[in-house]
Amino acid sequence: MAEPAATDPRAFRWPKIGWAWSDPAVRWSGWVTLLFSCSVLVFILFFVAREAWPVLSSVRLAGFLYGDPWQPLAEPPLLGIRHAWLSTLLVAGVALLVAVPFGLGIAVFSSEIAPPALRAVLQPCLELLAGIPSVVYGFFGSVTLVKAFEWWWGMPAGECILAAGLILSIMVLPFVASTSYEALRAVPRELREAALSLGITRAHMIRRIALPRALPGIFAGVALGFARAMGETLAVLLLAGNAVALPGGLLDRGQPLTALLATELGEAGLGSEKYHALFAAGLVLMLVTLLINMGIWSLKTRWMRHVRSHAA
Amino acid sequence: MSAPTLLEALPPRRRLADAACTAAGWAMGLAGILLPVAIVAYLLAKGLEHVSWNFLFDAPRGNPVGSGGGIGPAILGSLALTGLGLLFAWPLGVASALFLAEYAPRKRWPAWFRFGFECLAAVPSILYGLFGYAFLAVFLNFKISLLSGGLTLGFVMLPVILIGAQEAFEAAGGAYHEAGLGLGISKWYLVRRVLLPGAMPGILAATVLAAGHAVGSAAPVLFTASVVYSRGGMDLSRPVMTLPTHLYYLVSEAVSFPHAYGTALVLVAGLLCTNGAAMALRLWMARKKA
Repeated sequence: MAEPAATDPRAFRWPKIGWAWSDPAVRWSGWVTLLFSCSVLVFILFFVAREAWPVLSSVRLAGFLYGDPWQPLAEPPLLGIRHAWLSTLLVAGVALLVAVPFGLGIAVFSSEIAPPALRAVLQPCLELLAGIPSVVYGFFGSVTLVKAFEWWWGMPAGECILAAGLILSIMVLPFVASTSYEALRAVPRELREAALSLGITRAHMIRRIALPRALPGIFAGVALGFARAMGETLAVLLLAGNAVALPGGLLDRGQPLTALLATELGEAGLGSEKYHALFAAGLVLMLVTLLINMGIWSLKTRWMRHVRSHAA
Repeated sequence: MSAPTLLEALPPRRRLADAACTAAGWAMGLAGILLPVAIVAYLLAKGLEHVSWNFLFDAPRGNPVGSGGGIGPAILGSLALTGLGLLFAWPLGVASALFLAEYAPRKRWPAWFRFGFECLAAVPSILYGLFGYAFLAVFLNFKISLLSGGLTLGFVMLPVILIGAQEAFEAAGGAYHEAGLGLGISKWYLVRRVLLPGAMPGILAATVLAAGHAVGSAAPVLFTASVVYSRGGMDLSRPVMTLPTHLYYLVSEAVSFPHAYGTALVLVAGLLCTNGAAMALRLWMARKKA
């Protein structure tokens, strides 16, 4: 390990002019790399928007977002993404419906109920869940859940919105759980102790003290889970069924936005109308994700300020 | 209702609610532990019999391709892509983080940059694929190749490494940092001798996490680097096979489920090892600090 700089004899040398160049050099190269790294976001936005521009500038934006079906082979081609964003909403909705109560339960258990030893096991387990790749979840779902659906309900093919949503719920569970857990940990200890010393039960304390106080953080966790669920590609590609019809129910096949992109981009001719429509769909996905992220950011800063002002 | 006496027992309704809450908490917590263990155990039970030396090192064979042989080129391709991405993203991420943590004027700037990088980290991986395809493969004419895919994965890893490194730099130093500044040594010397050694375990942990995530994600490389079959030669200008896209191909075309189990197991086992290493690093760091 390095010696502390203060005991190093070289550290006591007065700075010379010859030595002084390194600091500005590092400072300026740091600036350059930082600007480059940050420009990546702008660059991605710019490039996706550039490729999407022909669709956005045409008068058929309403048709693209809402009116038209996705029929790229029709004459003229009809390129609407209504089925895709509807599928995305349905799949993400199912995922959150399962993951939020479950994740919140895990967070409450981990912060209020669990003995420390169990908490120490639970955290790595959630990290393990977050570390399994999307495509493995898709594969796992297609050999377990899809097969089970086919067997239970006699479906000819078990891929459907519900299967994709259930597997997605496992994938977003760690994000919901760990963000809610952090929010619950940030609730001041004195509040808990004061409540318990008044003789109310732990359940009552959780319901009336801990959860309301942690609500902004929990909400940030839910939003994070939603953004994650929207952006997952491979699992929904394998599980949602990849059909361009408008999904009518949870057992119908669907094609979320990400699956639409992954399916069609390889076959879209460069510069074709379909190519531009796919980039426009990507732009929609990106803008919604960025909006959610801004919401999370403002929630988080407000909630942190809240915690800090209490600590002061 | 009469005023409660001092030591009145809790009403049974409350005690029941409390017991129910505790029971539900335990049930969900245990389910949260069992779920990942069950998934890994399932993959292990189904996949272990298909993994052999031959499976790990041989090229895919058979008709349709992938129903025989092994996944050697896919493992190599995934490693090469991630390595290339790290070569690009690591210096960039660490230098930017160092600047943000140490050199940037301490006003509003770092917070705004941090916001930008969190946005970048939240962008869905398929959009990196879209960007890589439109910009690297088409606009810069890198074609579908190891180079395009590696750079795309580099873009995916960059914000994760950057955020992790920034946190590591801010946690490093402490009293030594201030003592160094008080002695009037130059900032770069301070960075080299105090901050970098102190922050390195944290940076490495973030890097390992980012790399593990990148190895497993198929969406960025689907259109920038991957092919269904290659014999395993590595060339910057040629496409490669990767583990996640190979698994996707095996499952979506229903080529061979035994091979899919084997591939999934190899992928998950590799990630478990790397994530375990990152976790050990973090534990070691926490112990050193204590």
